[in-house]
Amino acid sequence: MHFDLTDDQKEIKRVARELLAARSSWARVREAAEGGARYDDALWRELCELGWPGIAVGEEHGGQGLGAVELAVLLEELGYACAASPFLSTAAAAAAIEACGSGAQRARWLPALASGETTAGIGTRALCADGVGAAVLVLLERPSGEAMLVSGAECAPLATIDPTRRYATVSGGDAEPLGDGGGAGARAAADRVRAAVAAEVVGVAQRALEMTLAYVKERRQFGVPVGAFQAVQNRCAQMLLDTESARSTALFAAWAADAAPERLPEAAALAAAAAADGGRAVTASAIQAHGGIGFTWEADVHWLYKRAQLDAALLGGARQHRARLAALAAGRVAASA
Amino acid sequence: MDLTFDARETAFRDELRAWLAANPPGTPPHGDEDAHYAWRRDWQRRLAEGGWAAVHWPAEHGGRGATLTQSAIFYEELAAAGAPLPANVLGLLLAGPTIMTWGTQEQKERHLVPILTAEEIWCQGFSEPDAGSDLAAVKTRAVKDGDEWVITGQKVWTSMAQYAKWCMLVARTDPDAPKKHQGLTYFLMDMEQDGVEVVPLKQITGESEFNELFLDGARVPDANVLGGVGNGWKVALTTLMNERSGLAFFLQVRMRQLLDQLVGEASARGLLDDPVVADKLGELHLRCEVLRLTAYRGLTAIETYGQPGPEGSLTKWMWSDTNQALTQLAADLLGPEALTDGAPWAFELLRARGNSIEGGTTEVLKNIVAERVLGLPRLK
Ligand SMILES: Cc1cc2nc3c(=O)[nH]c(=O)nc-3n(C[C@H](O)[C@H](O)[C@H](O)COP(=O)(O)OP(=O)(O)OC[C@H]3O[C@@H](n4cnc5c(N)ncnc54)[C@H](O)[C@@H]3O)c2cc1C
Repeated sequence: MHFDLTDDQKEIKRVARELLAARSSWARVREAAEGGARYDDALWRELCELGWPGIAVGEEHGGQGLGAVELAVLLEELGYACAASPFLSTAAAAAAIEACGSGAQRARWLPALASGETTAGIGTRALCADGVGAAVLVLLERPSGEAMLVSGAECAPLATIDPTRRYATVSGGDAEPLGDGGGAGARAAADRVRAAVAAEVVGVAQRALEMTLAYVKERRQFGVPVGAFQAVQNRCAQMLLDTESARSTALFAAWAADAAPERLPEAAALAAAAAADGGRAVTASAIQAHGGIGFTWEADVHWLYKRAQLDAALLGGARQHRARLAALAAGRVAASA
Repeated sequence: MDLTFDARETAFRDELRAWLAANPPGTPPHGDEDAHYAWRRDWQRRLAEGGWAAVHWPAEHGGRGATLTQSAIFYEELAAAGAPLPANVLGLLLAGPTIMTWGTQEQKERHLVPILTAEEIWCQGFSEPDAGSDLAAVKTRAVKDGDEWVITGQKVWTSMAQYAKWCMLVARTDPDAPKKHQGLTYFLMDMEQDGVEVVPLKQITGESEFNELFLDGARVPDANVLGGVGNGWKVALTTLMNERSGLAFFLQVRMRQLLDQLVGEASARGLLDDPVVADKLGELHLRCEVLRLTAYRGLTAIETYGQPGPEGSLTKWMWSDTNQALTQLAADLLGPEALTDGAPWAFELLRARGNSIEGGTTEVLKNIVAERVLGLPRLK
């Protein structure tokens, strides 16, 4: 039992944190957001040169040959930076196709996705992240449902409250289940995509927590830093609890995806439920703890709140995952009765 | 990252499982609290005979030198087998490790084995009427008289004092010390003497787990000072640090069993098709798993860095909140049946209220998280 990142994984995390601090500052995120989710091409090129879109893609298709945990590490950092980039969609789709796709699907899509030459979209027909311009979409229509690979679809831009990312609605296109049929692979693919989104939320929450801690230690009222007030402290403690809960489950899901696939359905539901609610709660708390400043367009915490809202929507909301967990628990109890 | 048990951990678990299968704890006796406690005491004796009473203790003191993960496995398996907590849980988890850290050779030789075998039960005499969360405010006085200390004062909420031979007692030896944390001393006090009176307190469950402890001229020899005169605060912190570790895994499994039971009863009543019910049960399942996963992350942090990470401070808070929500949901779903006098769910509902008070209140835990983990300033 070793429930922590390996040294290599920590190194990936460190490199990503540094790179994104330099290349995806709040000023850059804001620029992208105010230009209508105008992604920074230079940043994307840099991520591609590092081979990150293909981090979990096998070497035979031009990937790095690493796994879901390494992908989760990167996603947490991209979320921490609230980076305006098609990284989540492309890397998560590639990882799902790599792990669950048929031979033909892998050969067709992976090389271009791993190199970042083309991008992918993920989500549903009603809300698809990075659908516009994507070569292929991985769509999940139902929580227990299968992931579909969709190409040639029509994607109409959808302006959401989160302008740091491009969203679309999807119509038409050629759809086929991801994998060789039989459903299990396509379901696992859907779970992998959810685990990836949950990993991003961990970073979003972590950033919101850190910004809040820095702020409440500085901001003074009644002659003391507002962080000395117990109500503020309790809020921060709850933010930590929610962030760490999301992290525990997101890491579990990423680990299970590769190392214990039989546990992935439950792990992904845990991660999705914890992230969907936790991300929103932590980022909402961040706004509250910043006071009036937190309600301004000028302060940057709102980007995190908005990202957390859209990530929760991409996850389909926590409720359906809790329903799935209840069904799993009931099944287990019935089986042991 | 590896969330499976390695070969050593699996071997440990399998050996324990085999032992538990050959030595089942049996079913708790009906009847009074004393009979129940006697059962737990007998259970610990059997554990000790099998070499399983204190797996986390070093081998030289009768333990197995188990790693933290093995210790977690131990408590998980114990709970999974339906075993009770060993009778001398305060001795095993608190007094023993504190004596190992601070004790003299004589103190270790005198006390550790009887703790292990449950021959001598221990209680924790920290809280007082005016010193609860603010533990350093204890007023119980210890005054030197030759090579003895004379103790006068009152302790309260002292669990298992009615069975205890020994008490971990924190008392004030220097009332003039400039700060309240100074001037405290940690004593190993013999409960079987005239100056010690134990008066049971009836809890909201109707049981009497805890007691008042009236100390009127109780005597403690110099040899039973632990960790030096005036050093009591530090020694007490060692005890408190041990309080929140190993137990988490036992409690976590117990809570999971309770949830499974509730899921079973809800299912038998056809309630699982109700989306509101499913939502609440799903949430509890999530919280149980978050607790388990986070507790394991905490173990890895201690094993790797020698100290818990930020997640380590969260588990007791998570557990008490979740157990309270779970037992409340049982009352919602099962109706009056869960609220009748003597119903197991009624007991669980009431007992859970103590979870967020015992071993440090949730408010105090949040303060600790805010100040020590998040580094927020203190209000002067
Ligand atoms: C079942 C049970 C078993 C116990 N067993 C033992 C035992 O064996 N030995 C022993 O020594 N003690 C024992 N205790 C005592 C326990 O440790 C104390 O009850 C606990 O530390 C709280 O102290 P208190 O009861 O004086 O409450 P108080 O400290 O008076 O607290 C009252 C309320 O004020 C809040 N509060 C207090 N200080 C702060 C603060 N700084 N910030 C915010 N809120 C605050 C508390 O959270 C609580 O809600 C036991 C308690 C229970 C319930």
